[in-house]
Amino acid sequence: MGGHASQTGSVGRLRILGISAHYHDSAAALLIDGVPVCAVQEERLSRRKNDAAFPLAAIEWCLDFAGVQPEQLDAVVFYEKPMLKFERILTLALRGFPRSWPAFPQAMKNALGGKLWVKGIIASELGVRGDRILFAEHHRSHAAAAFLGAPSRNAAILTADGVGEWATLSMGRGSIAADGTASIELFRELRFPHSLGMLYSTFTAYLGFPVNEGEYKVMGLASYGQPSFAEQVRRIVRRTADGGFALDLDYFEFHEGARRSFSKKFVEVFGAPREPWDPLDPQSAEGARFADVAASVQLVLEEVLVDLARSLQRETGLDDLCFGGGVALNGCANARILRESGFRNLYVPSAPGDAGCALGAALYADRLHFRRPHRPVPDHPYWGPALEATDLARIALEDGLELEQIPREPDLIACAVDHLCAGRIVGWMQGRTEMGPRALGNRSILAAPHEAAMRDALNRSIKYREEFRPFAPAVPIEQADRFFQLPSGGARLGRFMSGVFPVHREWRSRLAAVTHVDGTARVQTVEASMAPRFHALLEAYGARTGIPVLLNTSFNLAGEPIVNRAVEGYSTFRRSGIDVLIAGETVVRKRRHDLARLEEAIA
Amino acid sequence: MLASPAVRAAPSTLDLLLLPLHRLVWADPHRRARKLLRFAETEADGGRDLARAAELTFDPALRRLYLRHAQDEQRHADLFRRRGRELLSQPGSASKFEANWLAPGERGLDDLRVEKQSDETLLAFLHLSEKAAAGRFVIYRRVLQADPDTRGVFARVLEDEAFHMTYTGKQLARLSPRKHGLRLWQARAGRLWKTYLRLASAVASVFGTVMLGLQYFLLLPAFALVAKRAARREPPGLAPSRPPTPLQSQY
Repeated sequence: MGGHASQTGSVGRLRILGISAHYHDSAAALLIDGVPVCAVQEERLSRRKNDAAFPLAAIEWCLDFAGVQPEQLDAVVFYEKPMLKFERILTLALRGFPRSWPAFPQAMKNALGGKLWVKGIIASELGVRGDRILFAEHHRSHAAAAFLGAPSRNAAILTADGVGEWATLSMGRGSIAADGTASIELFRELRFPHSLGMLYSTFTAYLGFPVNEGEYKVMGLASYGQPSFAEQVRRIVRRTADGGFALDLDYFEFHEGARRSFSKKFVEVFGAPREPWDPLDPQSAEGARFADVAASVQLVLEEVLVDLARSLQRETGLDDLCFGGGVALNGCANARILRESGFRNLYVPSAPGDAGCALGAALYADRLHFRRPHRPVPDHPYWGPALEATDLARIALEDGLELEQIPREPDLIACAVDHLCAGRIVGWMQGRTEMGPRALGNRSILAAPHEAAMRDALNRSIKYREEFRPFAPAVPIEQADRFFQLPSGGARLGRFMSGVFPVHREWRSRLAAVTHVDGTARVQTVEASMAPRFHALLEAYGARTGIPVLLNTSFNLAGEPIVNRAVEGYSTFRRSGIDVLIAGETVVRKRRHDLARLEEAIA
Repeated sequence: MLASPAVRAAPSTLDLLLLPLHRLVWADPHRRARKLLRFAETEADGGRDLARAAELTFDPALRRLYLRHAQDEQRHADLFRRRGRELLSQPGSASKFEANWLAPGERGLDDLRVEKQSDETLLAFLHLSEKAAAGRFVIYRRVLQADPDTRGVFARVLEDEAFHMTYTGKQLARLSPRKHGLRLWQARAGRLWKTYLRLASAVASVFGTVMLGLQYFLLLPAFALVAKRAARREPPGLAPSRPPTPLQSQY
């Protein structure tokens, strides 16, 4: 970038595109003059869950949204260093010789068939010059997403995931000087194959859940069990004198690229694994064993993270911790870190996983490569496409559904409250799509949180998922303490639904649909400044029922990404047990018998 | 029972010739279960593709039918999954051999790029897929004399398949009254081309695997020794972070 004017910090508009791709959850984010303008996960546009393909649709949308041509980009930043990653893959194949032979051809085909040539892919797909294509390290991208996106000027940084290039966990600190100069210093790291993310994923696979998707299920299942296998887990996650840990690799096979991530020895200790299609009832003897295993790995994960965070707090003496990487999606662990590590604030971005690295890589390049002064990043998750509900009215009318247009916000909210109070399930679409895996009030399914029957109905007729999985509550931030036991800093952690906290005992029976079996809930604390309409809805529901809490779950069906456009919300509404769809100011209701008759007539 | 007089599900000649083999494949209850569970996944994937088609079409009638079809596929997935689980709960174990090439379920929908299809080409594709799947389901039903419950599942699915074949055929004729025959031939050619591509890429993959496997055993041993020795020297636990490299570097 030698001769590039903006590298020296001149005042011209600097446009940086961040990209994450090729492993899971690809995404693009655009930064203009140091401030994010838009960001979206590829899956929201391609409609393929966890789409890992090169995010061409996401890139095109970002550029269209900002009215930027590819040639106007000052830099395109990829979220990791492909050659360094390839070095790791090759080294692991060598270390695992000859046992790594079954995986070697596929690993090489993957790398040599595309993943290694990211620079060429970016140059050819976008038509940008090679010297404008940059590469930030994976964990530095996570660190930047966590720290530069947080409202903190001095913070410790912890990142943990499955693996980036070599690092699986990094510890460091970030600071913003008075003149806006940002720095991110990573002191220490753990390297593959010693990885908390891979540990948890291995147990996820052992418990019969899909890796990179089923980790939430392990966390949900853990609440049903006792950590009776904790000692066994501690033996395979051996703690080291420096505060880190080393996995006993005799129990794992993921580092050799085997089809199965755990070894025979692992099965000897924990028993036979669960097959993905086996029903899982935590009340049965076999189900209880799986729940105990889940509780054990969850406990050990929390212990390791709390210890690492505590040592980081002692070392830095700081109040704030920014936590990134896929492991930061573990809300139970986050809550324990906040309670026990000594940090007063814990900041987890709305997309702490790889998708968020698109934004992190762009921020890293802006602040640390181009040395632009720091600018606060707007503290919300709504970076995706805005809702355009105009087509919805036409479609609903064509299908003969009941339709209302309610332009006045108080009336719209009153209508939503009417439906919710009547026990109806509401699909709620407003504003711009969230960045990250959670629906935070713009692409949500909402319902009354009071009865366990509502949870069961949602699991059965909409989400088609296991009954042991909990649903999350949303509450106005001002009233969160009334219902939930939030530690200091807990309300902030709940901003993006990143913490699991106890429900006050006296409210548990009245919040049965959102209270997990262990009396906890993954709370979203809603601030009016971040989501005014959603906040107003919660307040209005509270005014009517005395409890300003709603069940909030992502607006999607099993196996599908969260909806983006109104027509996708409509399709989901039509195929599921959602009773009412409210998209912008359009309200659509079902009349099932009419629909069935219509379809038969057409056919 | 096949509800529609318009289109009947009939097995292909090849499948009829392979009837004894189908009988053998479906004889084992655990293998049967795994196949049903695989069908469940395929049906669910197909349902998602149809939902996507409903979201993309501008034709109101097609949208309603695609949505209905998507719901049917989801219901089939549930039926297959439930029956598969019931069979798995029975004692015994199956061999690893599943013969998926012989009993692929509703293959084709899973690698469909709905966004790239027009309504006509999609309908033609769906019509052929449904017809092929229904034909195979007739065969499966026939070889499952000893398992009335699984037979019942196929019978219920076949009722819907008949509807799907009928509506895709009728709608194709509506949208393309003069060229619907051509569209069907084009879809057949497309399926053949995809089959060829699958086969070719499988052959290429085998060839690549053999070449890389040879390189692995011929070139890597010496480097592997060095790598193993270096790994033994690495202290466990935390290590100093790698110093940041310039962003232009891919290392």
